[in-house]
Amino acid sequence: MRALCWEGVGKLAVRDVPEPRIRAEGDIIVKVRASSVCGSDLHLINGFLPAMREGDILGHEFMGEVVETGPGVRRLAVGDRVVVGSVVACGGCWYCRTEQYSLCDNSNPQPVFTEKLWGHSPAGILGYSHAAGGYSGSHAEYIRVPFGDVGAFKVPDGVPDDSVVFASDAMPTGWMGADFCGLTGGEVVAVWGAGGVGQMAARAAQLLGAERVIVIDRLPERLGTAADRLGVETINYAETDVLEALREMTAGRGPDACIEAVGMESHDVGPAYAYDKAKQTARLQVDRPTSVRQAIMACRKGGTVSIVGVYAGLVDKFPLGAAMNKALVLRMGQMHAQRYIPMLLDRIAAGEIDPGYLATHPMPLEQGARGYEMFEKKEDGCLRSVLHPA
Amino acid sequence: MTSNGTRWALLGATTATAVGVGRLVARRRRRHQPDRQDGWYVVRRGITVDRPVDAVIGFWTDRERLDRALAEWATLEQLDENRWRCVAIDPAGGGTEWRAELTVDGPGRLSWRITDGPVPQEGHVDLVAAPQDRGTEIRAELRYRGGGPLRRALGLARGDEPDLGLRDALRRIKSLIETGQVVDTRHDPSGRSPAQEQATDKVRERLTTGGRA
Ligand SMILES: NC(=O)c1ccc[n+]([C@@H]2O[C@H](COP(=O)([O-])OP(=O)(O)OC[C@H]3O[C@@H](n4cnc5c(N)ncnc54)[C@H](O)[C@@H]3O)[C@@H](O)[C@H]2O)c1
Ligand SMILES: [Zn+2]
Ligand SMILES: [Zn+2]
Repeated sequence: MRALCWEGVGKLAVRDVPEPRIRAEGDIIVKVRASSVCGSDLHLINGFLPAMREGDILGHEFMGEVVETGPGVRRLAVGDRVVVGSVVACGGCWYCRTEQYSLCDNSNPQPVFTEKLWGHSPAGILGYSHAAGGYSGSHAEYIRVPFGDVGAFKVPDGVPDDSVVFASDAMPTGWMGADFCGLTGGEVVAVWGAGGVGQMAARAAQLLGAERVIVIDRLPERLGTAADRLGVETINYAETDVLEALREMTAGRGPDACIEAVGMESHDVGPAYAYDKAKQTARLQVDRPTSVRQAIMACRKGGTVSIVGVYAGLVDKFPLGAAMNKALVLRMGQMHAQRYIPMLLDRIAAGEIDPGYLATHPMPLEQGARGYEMFEKKEDGCLRSVLHPA
Repeated sequence: MTSNGTRWALLGATTATAVGVGRLVARRRRRHQPDRQDGWYVVRRGITVDRPVDAVIGFWTDRERLDRALAEWATLEQLDENRWRCVAIDPAGGGTEWRAELTVDGPGRLSWRITDGPVPQEGHVDLVAAPQDRGTEIRAELRYRGGGPLRRALGLARGDEPDLGLRDALRRIKSLIETGQVVDTRHDPSGRSPAQEQATDKVRERLTTGGRA
């Protein structure tokens, strides 16, 4: 079959690879119909998250059709149209039982790396390097999904592939970011990053009761899309002092909750950014935490900072004093896909969220490398390239 | 219905077998050496399984599951009421064989001793109810003798491999009890040549074996 493979830092190519096979009772094989790029892939492609091997198949945000099921699969049948959560969860451990799926104990068969780096190993993630289990990804004609009953969900008829595909990753991630904020109604929520994840976090915050949502980015097209589609307010950080603006917009209080949906390749203007970038390039620090710092400084006293942008290692100049003295609540994590997907599918079907607009650039799998280039350089207003193998 | 003793023996056999076969986990370097006591290396490792103690013991009644756990490389034979003999062959090949004797010492404890094999070894497993609603703690202690020309010949010159094996075995046992399988991504498709795939398998092995740093 054809698949988009990583061939070294910054290099992708479509190759002929063997087809996956059922290897365990709970496995299913999914014929991929739509497979999206994600901001996390950029961290992998650019070598910021280590443990990629030449030839690894990328892709973890996808949907398709079940074409084969292992003998232990109960909930799904051949022919089902499904969306699959990026995070692999066994369904049988304490973390899965308590719906903390991205912390699953049994789904990363290669836990040594992350145990050394972080003390414990979280769940495996499809198409996400050998640190996250070494699973093949979804930018391919077929993919093996372990624990199919736990990770794959039938999608409602009538919802297009290029819309429901985002229930795999961007939507649950954004939802979790807003869920962490513990909204009770009437809050002001600021969201850093107007990518797929930030946009979905902004929508989730609205649905969970926020009265005002303010989205921060530097890309006018993305900010424009967020304003048009979601009716949020926006700040362009390249033109405006973000801390000043947020203080003014909230009459001095600061946002009640701040969601960070940017991640470790966070960009900034000014000297601190040059410092971070130099250190990151020299591998003295893995992550560039510009937007996290800003979120902590901006957040109101006693508010919540919710981080769903991905970080991997150590950061520098973390304003711990601000977080401590303002008594902030910090929440963060990889998303618990399986907890949110059924609810999100209902909301899509009910028309409460329509993520289809994120799919700005549908294209054949064969053009995958170009799709990533457009996504990374944000060319032509690209929010997400969605690859179609067939 | 299998007796409780037998279930116990099966759990022990799985642990002991995986641990005893040192070659599986050789060639890994760790900085610290295990504790030593009277000429024995001693390692203790524990893992928490999200099932009550009864269920952890009960799990081993399922013969089919057990065969999957022990794979093709071990057999178990009952000697008397509380004793079993386990014979295992090195699954990595090379014809190494060893024998162990397993004894059920009480409702929550089982011990084993290698009677014939490349590494002198003994150990025991305790099952303890975990606090809160967290299931069962499987606590294992392993004692083995280090050094020796035979160990060096087998590539086991350093004293830490049984520790890695023990951690790996506990992780597998937990996964089997909680999910009925142990996930494996070794044969997932990739764009690698056979030579690249072989090199990647070595990396996978290093990232798989050991755990709990
Ligand atoms: N927690 C999870 O489970 C999970 C799941 C999916 C994605 N992610 C992470 O979420 C993040 C966003 O993903 P995405 O797909 O939306 O990526 P994306 O690259 O499409 O969007 C990131 C956006 O952040 C903007 N940005 C950069 N620096 C900024 C700054 N200092 N302030 C404000 N905005 C800034 C960029 O201009 C871009 O629009 C990534 O780090 C990704 O790895 C996390
Ligand atoms: Zn993602
Ligand atoms: Zn689990």
